Amino acid sequence: MTKQDTTLWDQQRNKIISKKGGWLIGDGVYCHGYEMMNELVGKVSYMQVVVLNATGRLPERRLAECIEAAHICLSWPDSRIWCNHIGALGGTMRASSVASTVAGVLATDSRSYGIKPLKAGLSFIQAAMLAFNNGVSVADIVTNECAKHGGKPFIMGYGRPIAKGDERVPAMERVAKNLGFPVGAHLKLAYEIESVLDERFNEGMNINGYMSAFLSDQGFSPDEVYLICSTLVASGVTACYVDMRNRPAGTFLPLRCDDVLYQGKPHRLLPEQKEEL
Amino acid sequence: MINKDVRGEEMEKQQRHQKVSVRSEPFADKVSTRIWEELASSDNPYIADSSRCHGYDLIDLMRGASYIDTFYLLFRGELPSTDERQLLEKLMIGLINPGPRHPATRAAMNAGIGKTDPQHILPISLAIMGGEHLGAGEVEGAMRFMRRHRREDPARLVEQLLKERGEEQPEEGDWHIVPGFGSCFGSVDLMPSKLVTLLLELPGCGEIIKWGARFSAALEKHNMGWLNVGVAAAVFADLGFHPRSGAGLFQLLSAPGLLAHGMEQANKPITAMPFISDKAYTIDYD
Repeated sequence: MTKQDTTLWDQQRNKIISKKGGWLIGDGVYCHGYEMMNELVGKVSYMQVVVLNATGRLPERRLAECIEAAHICLSWPDSRIWCNHIGALGGTMRASSVASTVAGVLATDSRSYGIKPLKAGLSFIQAAMLAFNNGVSVADIVTNECAKHGGKPFIMGYGRPIAKGDERVPAMERVAKNLGFPVGAHLKLAYEIESVLDERFNEGMNINGYMSAFLSDQGFSPDEVYLICSTLVASGVTACYVDMRNRPAGTFLPLRCDDVLYQGKPHRLLPEQKEEL
Repeated sequence: MINKDVRGEEMEKQQRHQKVSVRSEPFADKVSTRIWEELASSDNPYIADSSRCHGYDLIDLMRGASYIDTFYLLFRGELPSTDERQLLEKLMIGLINPGPRHPATRAAMNAGIGKTDPQHILPISLAIMGGEHLGAGEVEGAMRFMRRHRREDPARLVEQLLKERGEEQPEEGDWHIVPGFGSCFGSVDLMPSKLVTLLLELPGCGEIIKWGARFSAALEKHNMGWLNVGVAAAVFADLGFHPRSGAGLFQLLSAPGLLAHGMEQANKPITAMPFISDKAYTIDYD
């Protein structure tokens, strides 16, 4: 048998070559070129460091403030929301807050809500921008995207389950305005798409659509936003955990046996039991 | 000074969003299941007096069925045949431990030696086992790939895939030409083929495992072949499990080994595992 080339793996054995930073004991703690204790701690916000760790770039404080505000918008203490529900279930069965919060965060790796749709929202608006710059009209962008879903108004960043409209959009618009962010090219296009959708389907922009366009204007890629927002919902999940952790165990939406609708096979015997009869 | 976009300013003034209102979507009154039926006791509606799995009483299953039977029943809705039971059991043995070098096992061991609460060791390692490289995240794709191509000539398909996807091969490191098949540390992985050799001898071995073996053989000259995730996918597909269940089933089958390795480390001092020295830790920014 020929000896296989394992150089790539041999070069990595028993050593770490970090492109991010690390703790050089007795010297300092380094993070993307910054000495953390002297250059970051007390000088930049936590969210600036979150963005730095996710992207390798230290954003200006006001941009981090905007991202932080979006985290507040997307993490509220309502235990009906799917990820928060998991946190509440953790509380009612006395799981730890870490386990419950992390479980709720993990649930947002979802096609339906949370961070993946945000990533898809950025992909959509950036592709739409490209198409628009290549001469495709806003009306055609909407038509083409809806055609992928049988003509239905399913565009990432628009519409919303449970409710119509999104109170978080004007809230974030206010934050961005107060921090001095102008409406950039992606956001302008996102508004124009909203106008077409509203006219055709009576559907509007949701927080995903706003943030996707805003963050695209700030130069972020879909993958970068997914990384920055990894723990987007954590705080709301913790709140719902605490709510149930402080009540008698097992009392969060308790289910009686007949609260679950059984739709399966009726009672039957094992093959051996049938033979015995 | 902020350079305001004039058109943007106009948009800000013009933009009016919809007022928030409830959609009133018709949500179900109750959660429903075809898997499990719980019959309430007469004096407390929250206490189950009997439980049934797809119609079979749980106590009857404990008396007259094996764990593998009941496992299969849970997911497929019917008890397995003798051949199906044997095939699933052999796979469960074959995949019981990803081994101490697998990243998911190492996550379990790391949690163990770090004195993480024992109840977290399995979820931690299973989350890592969800990965798309040699993990559960690869299984669904492998099941769908084999189901879609099982009527095609494997050798011809390999040549076609190499032609179509050759440019996707990374400059360094392993390449999974399709989910479930590829190179492992630059070579053909040997253990998956050994597992399959045994599975091929079983009466319950199905057409997808047989097709996968031919596909793997055709890949060999390109230094690729079966990966464990591909073997699992082939068996799951032959047993009729839905592709979307593949990831979780793979995690379930790997769980015993992950937990065992994690617990083995839990009582050892933190020094019982290597800690890379400062000398071997280099910061090299791009």
